[in-house]
Amino acid sequence: MYGRLAILAAAGFVQGTLIAHAQDTIKIGVALELSGRFVSFGSYCKDGVEFASELYGNTTVAGKRVEFIYRDLQSDAQTTVTAFTELLSTQGINYVIGPTASPIAAAAIGPWRQTKPIWLVPGASTTTMETEVGAEPTFFHTYPYAYHYHETLSAALRHYLGEGKRVAVVYVDDAYGRTHLPLVKEYFTKAGFEIVAEEVMRANSPDLNPVLSKIRSARPDILIGLVQSTDAVTLAKQVHTRNMKIPYLVGAASTQHREWQDAVGEAQEGWIGLGTYLPHLVNWPANPEYPKIFMSTSEWERLFEARFKREPNYDDIMCYTNAGQLLIALEKAGGDNKDKVAEELAKLDTMSPFGPTKFTKTRGGTRNQAFSSMLVFQRHQNKNILLYPLSVAKDATLYQAPR
Amino acid sequence: MATQLIRGGSILLALAFVGLTLISYPSINDLAFRVAMLIIVATSWNIMANAGLVSLGHSAFWGVGAYVGLLTANTGMPLGVSITFGFLAGGLLGILLAIATARLRGFFFAICTLGLSEGLRVVALMLPNITGGAVGLFLAQEARPPLKLIFLLGSIGAILAVAIAIVLSRLPFHYACRAMRNQERAAQMLGVDPRIYRARVMALAGALAGAAGSLNAMYGGYIDPSIAFTLRVTIESQIAPILGGLYTIAGPVLGSGVIVLLAEWTRLAFGANEGLSQLIFGGILVFAILFMPLGIVGVWTKARARRRRDSSMVRGGDPPDAKPRRAGA
Amino acid sequence: MSFLPQAIVDALLLGGIYTLMVIGLSVSLGITRVINFVHGEAIMLGAYAAYWGLTLLKIDPLLALPIVALLGAVIGFLVFKGLIAPVLDAPQENQILLTFGLGLVLQNIALILWTGNERSSNPPYAFSSFDFDTVSIPGGRLIAVCAAIIMVVALFIWLKYGEWGRASRALAENRDAAILMGINVPFLYAFTFGLASALAAATGVICSFIFAITPFMGFDMLVKGFAIIILGGLGSIVGSVAGAFLLAFAETTVAYYVPSGNGWAEAVAFVVMFITLIIRPRGIVGQVTGQ
Repeated sequence: MYGRLAILAAAGFVQGTLIAHAQDTIKIGVALELSGRFVSFGSYCKDGVEFASELYGNTTVAGKRVEFIYRDLQSDAQTTVTAFTELLSTQGINYVIGPTASPIAAAAIGPWRQTKPIWLVPGASTTTMETEVGAEPTFFHTYPYAYHYHETLSAALRHYLGEGKRVAVVYVDDAYGRTHLPLVKEYFTKAGFEIVAEEVMRANSPDLNPVLSKIRSARPDILIGLVQSTDAVTLAKQVHTRNMKIPYLVGAASTQHREWQDAVGEAQEGWIGLGTYLPHLVNWPANPEYPKIFMSTSEWERLFEARFKREPNYDDIMCYTNAGQLLIALEKAGGDNKDKVAEELAKLDTMSPFGPTKFTKTRGGTRNQAFSSMLVFQRHQNKNILLYPLSVAKDATLYQAPR
Repeated sequence: MATQLIRGGSILLALAFVGLTLISYPSINDLAFRVAMLIIVATSWNIMANAGLVSLGHSAFWGVGAYVGLLTANTGMPLGVSITFGFLAGGLLGILLAIATARLRGFFFAICTLGLSEGLRVVALMLPNITGGAVGLFLAQEARPPLKLIFLLGSIGAILAVAIAIVLSRLPFHYACRAMRNQERAAQMLGVDPRIYRARVMALAGALAGAAGSLNAMYGGYIDPSIAFTLRVTIESQIAPILGGLYTIAGPVLGSGVIVLLAEWTRLAFGANEGLSQLIFGGILVFAILFMPLGIVGVWTKARARRRRDSSMVRGGDPPDAKPRRAGA
Repeated sequence: MSFLPQAIVDALLLGGIYTLMVIGLSVSLGITRVINFVHGEAIMLGAYAAYWGLTLLKIDPLLALPIVALLGAVIGFLVFKGLIAPVLDAPQENQILLTFGLGLVLQNIALILWTGNERSSNPPYAFSSFDFDTVSIPGGRLIAVCAAIIMVVALFIWLKYGEWGRASRALAENRDAAILMGINVPFLYAFTFGLASALAAATGVICSFIFAITPFMGFDMLVKGFAIIILGGLGSIVGSVAGAFLLAFAETTVAYYVPSGNGWAEAVAFVVMFITLIIRPRGIVGQVTGQ
């Protein structure tokens, strides 16, 4: 009986890991968190890549078909190691997009080093990525690092509020909060703000009242919440309920998420956030050289909404663009030559719906960083109002939170 | 005769397992390694369960081993030392747990282990200066051992763990544990001091799981509190023995193989759909508990008994080489 | 300290929430003695039911509560009869794994159906609060405490005076004697489990407007629930309530007065649990030690 079981298992396993050494396919690995706690980031990214592969259609790149191989990392470190090992060593894949979450990307570093494929990471704002693999020529980071966040944020707030304002920080005790806290302190102090309180909270904490009481007693002007997903919802709701009398509430990256906005309802009014992309607010022009894949932003949004029946977010467009960049680099390199593709990708300086695709060095040591500029905005009457950079924010006013 | 066949076959299988590490096929090596790690923790869990101690927090030992191992390696110590330290750390935790829970049994003991695992995770989070906290801990580049060595150690470790289990099953130790499992007070009356046996059992089980944890940390190269004290280890270290056959020796081994292959298969076949792979995993778990309570070994034993019965009914009388079954096999 | 009045209020309100989390678990653990790992998912499903009720049908969560609870009872009853009753006499590990596997299945069904995005229901009272000089009392949590009180009192009365309530107590004390007394034990087991599920579902409804809900919310609640039950004592409703409030006070005190207190608050639950198990395994009010 378990002889049959063994055969079944072996068959399934072999089916999954057959080396399709078909010489006429270029395979691109897409390793994302499609289940587990990071599923919301991973699944949007997958939509973006899928969209790109659909639009690119059955055309070939340099005479070969392109195939995207999706793998679910299950938001788990061990699975990530196994998946990367399978993609890189068994399937011999030279190009990987993903993952998006910092701890999962960190877990992938080990197996990545086995063959060092071209690695586009549309996420992972933690600076440990930079320290570990930033200098590698095949590592391409397409999302801001934590210090980009606060560089922009502190500059924006300083522009509107001037110097000397009091800042309180709430942060979750996880990689996100712990990474961002020292950077908040560094950049905001440099910009002339005074940090009057910093409170840690446990992830999935049911009661934030003690934290809020302590913050309230410090009487800050600005509250910065270094929180994500459920904690961001709980924080916003409790802050709103509590009548904190803090005029400016900053949610960093969580404010832009549709889910957060829907979940907190009226409590979102006045929250300030930042992100790399906001739907229907910035319109990059179409790319005359690659019109099929890099159309104008508004055109892309139109097509996306028709296909997926929902508003796009930054994961969608970022991963779409990354896939597009990779395909263009493949074409320019003339085929499945990893080093040439890396060269072409690093050189690629063209327009995309997400913005200019140019890769530059960061101060932290990453060789290939793109898309590090961020937009600061505020939620007002259920809409996003752009605040910063000033070139796109036309005469914006900064509102105070209602309570 | 069948028993000799099993024994011969097992030795061959063990050799093949070690042999796998010599082939350079990273996907298979990775899978074999995962199976090896699971065999170690599953056997470790089984040893504890055999003494009536159900552990709901086996990841506590695993995580402690992972941190101690990684931290030791980062100070420049060779691989063997790091693993040994992980082994000792796990064992120490086991002894501490035994002392703390000396009077607890059954459900209370189980919940205590769950609390231990979760509590340690919080401790790891709140002490970033030692453990790297939420940001995590990387294995220093220079300290990275060659992959082949890790795989080899993994396979050997698994075989050692099973060997230990076999040796234990022949010693009086084993009978003391079984007596404890059935009725601890009665065992006490027979002269078995439960506290000493508990300490020994938990030290051994903890040490094995700790060693596995540190080896795994060397392989992955990165841990953080949720990765080190992951629920996954707790779950899998239980599912494997139960699926394979509780309290048996082959059970954890069989179960580990099935679990890892099953997880891989569902992930590859259904992985592109969010949540579907984990859903199937849970469903299979439910199915196995309901319809295969004695595990795979149980099913096989029943089938064998049925075959013997059928053959004896046909021939009329006992089959010539019917032997009484050995306890613990 | 100037925080004291607010700290007391927060602790009381948190105690109410914890009581809700624990009351269903206490019933199922205390009477059916099944190690129930599905409880967290039952709460989760109740929360989603309330959320969808508000979003799609515009029904206020509190109005939907009785319906959701009833639904929870029926489903719990059926699940018990179908899946859990067979392992009632099996080793405990089997019960644990079965209910755990079931929890995993439910979690992922919820994930596939409703995605992992966090949600929250926002009826108007979710944001209300009563503000005085030194204290602020959030309205949503106050409702939670009231609901907890109502549920506990109702449960108590039922156990003490209701026909089946008394039968359940008999069952918890001595199963064989209960059978001899002519009590329909299999039915009663399933019924009690259904009751526990109803309580869990009701808890979920209330949680839906207090904090965020995701398919994964069940497990943390479950672990904390176990810790509280141990603290209060297995098999005692009073104990569980006492345990809930005690833990709430301990956690709130740590959160307010220990630096980085909120970070350590979770560890408090486990420390408390450990201490209880070592010093007094029966718990505060516990009647039976179980094994």
